[in-house]
Amino acid sequence: MSAVAGQRAPLLEMLGISKHFGGLQALKNVDLALHAGELLAIVGDNGAGKSTLIKILTGVYPASEGVIKLEGQQVHIPDRRTSIQLGIDAVYQNLALVDYLTAPQNVYLGNEIKRKVFGIPVLDNGGMRSKAATLLRERLGISLGNIDQNAFNLSGGQRQAVAIGRALIQETVKILILDEPTAALGPEETRRMLEVVHRLKGKEMGLIMISHQLEDVFELSDRIMVLRNGMLAGVRTTAETSRQEILGLIVGATEADPRGPAARAGAGGAVGS
Amino acid sequence: MSVPSVAAGRERAQPAFERYINIMGPLAMIVVIGVVMAIFEPRFFRITNVRIILQDAAIYMVLGMAMTIVITGAGIDLSIGSISALSAIVMAIFIKDLNVGVYLALAMALVVGVACGLVNGLIITVLRVPDLITTLSTDLVFRGLALVMAAGAVLQRFPEPIPALGRGRVFGDTIPIPIIIGVVVLLVGVFIYRFTPLGRYAIAIGGNRESAMLSGINVRRNKVYHYMLMGAAAGLAGIMLTGRLNAVQATVAEGFALHTIAAVVVGGTVLFGGRGTMLGTLVGVVLLSMVTNALVILRLAFFWQLVAAGLIIVLSVAFYSYVERRGKGGSE
Repeated sequence: MSAVAGQRAPLLEMLGISKHFGGLQALKNVDLALHAGELLAIVGDNGAGKSTLIKILTGVYPASEGVIKLEGQQVHIPDRRTSIQLGIDAVYQNLALVDYLTAPQNVYLGNEIKRKVFGIPVLDNGGMRSKAATLLRERLGISLGNIDQNAFNLSGGQRQAVAIGRALIQETVKILILDEPTAALGPEETRRMLEVVHRLKGKEMGLIMISHQLEDVFELSDRIMVLRNGMLAGVRTTAETSRQEILGLIVGATEADPRGPAARAGAGGAVGS
Repeated sequence: MSVPSVAAGRERAQPAFERYINIMGPLAMIVVIGVVMAIFEPRFFRITNVRIILQDAAIYMVLGMAMTIVITGAGIDLSIGSISALSAIVMAIFIKDLNVGVYLALAMALVVGVACGLVNGLIITVLRVPDLITTLSTDLVFRGLALVMAAGAVLQRFPEPIPALGRGRVFGDTIPIPIIIGVVVLLVGVFIYRFTPLGRYAIAIGGNRESAMLSGINVRRNKVYHYMLMGAAAGLAGIMLTGRLNAVQATVAEGFALHTIAAVVVGGTVLFGGRGTMLGTLVGVVLLSMVTNALVILRLAFFWQLVAAGLIIVLSVAFYSYVERRGKGGSE
């Protein structure tokens, strides 16, 4: 995968990104490259700068310094709407659905299908309902039972799927960011969510996944990018690295001295809290 | 509801019963009050009295439609009584003092209403003053302006169609025009709520403001629209009110805001936003107008109307809490 992708220009490049909030340096000179069809995992301890990097990419914060290039073209992302227009969308950790809208209404929120009735734009509720149901079922393999129930009544995994559906409905989506897709889920739903993410892979889209779960990261990712204290600690090809090495990069143990926090955390466990 | 299954069957539609369970409580109260009144006071169900109830409810329906959207969007408007008064006074002055054509004056009433709503909306979204404080303050401002302009006068005897809009009847002198206006406004409200981005975004803004923003919805602009719609409705209510008595003074429509908010909440719209129902608001306005009328007919003092209105609000909201808790327990 990475060998093929390496021959083309990256889908996305972030170069020399820095961000400070007042005196606090959240990111310092971070580079990121993402290729089409690739899943890049971003890992790091709490406060390492993962979320800040993603928020810069989705127009929530402006970067203090640095350049973003999409398909080789430099772009400026001042707000959320611009990022969506550029085809960059994110599924957030807090599962930001509106509780008292149904799944289709959530999927199409802000992006409704309308038809004109006597020149007045009217929501095409039936059309959105059937298209959203098809999308959830065929693209993500999720069935909700009652499609008209409010998001309030859905399980964590179903909500996550609806949130992903919301990003996918924009047919222009090129880069999809998944922020802790399994953090709020039980073991069974985690397994299904990993299936959903796996289905998304291998298309033209580039995926970025933030996760604390190294197990998920190793199962799904093509490359792993490690952030530590707002700086890039390293990027590794998943097939050529080990949990030991990634853990070492996360906590800052040198390769010569693998003892320390990394060894105590254990190879299979979750990192951070 | 267990884990989603890849091979699970077709999606079911939600049964209508579940969708409307919320308005069963106030609907039951309407039936109970109806039965009690039928037994104790036959005058209650005379056609003239039913007309009076519905004519009263129609004005609150006009206000309640817009208020349902404002509250759903996590707003509140305490200034609507003053907006109605100011709109009506401006209209009256245009007709009586400035000899302007009646249709232009009617349009002015609506323009004043929308302008007041725009002011509310801009204070809330640009100056970032909370909705409650903004409209509490502008309530005083709009009322004060109305008092200054009317200078204590009662303006009366307006040309048609103003009296017709307040108390005229059509279809062989049977159906009051205000009731028709109320029904049309209700239908417009249902349409806005279900079939327009304005209604959908109100639910999103009230339910999860951050999510609405992340979806690219212009939250502030939508909030301004909510208050402009509310202002237009208050202007229309001011016209209907003027027509009903064929007279207006600057102190009319006092207490309309709280009555309307009560009706909306009794109907099942959640005061903190995110959930609402137009049909519930219809039930709420009819219930409150029925109770007010029943107490008048029973010759109870006005003060008892206040007691009754308070009790109904508490009982309705308690009912919703009960349904909510039970529904949650049942589905998990």
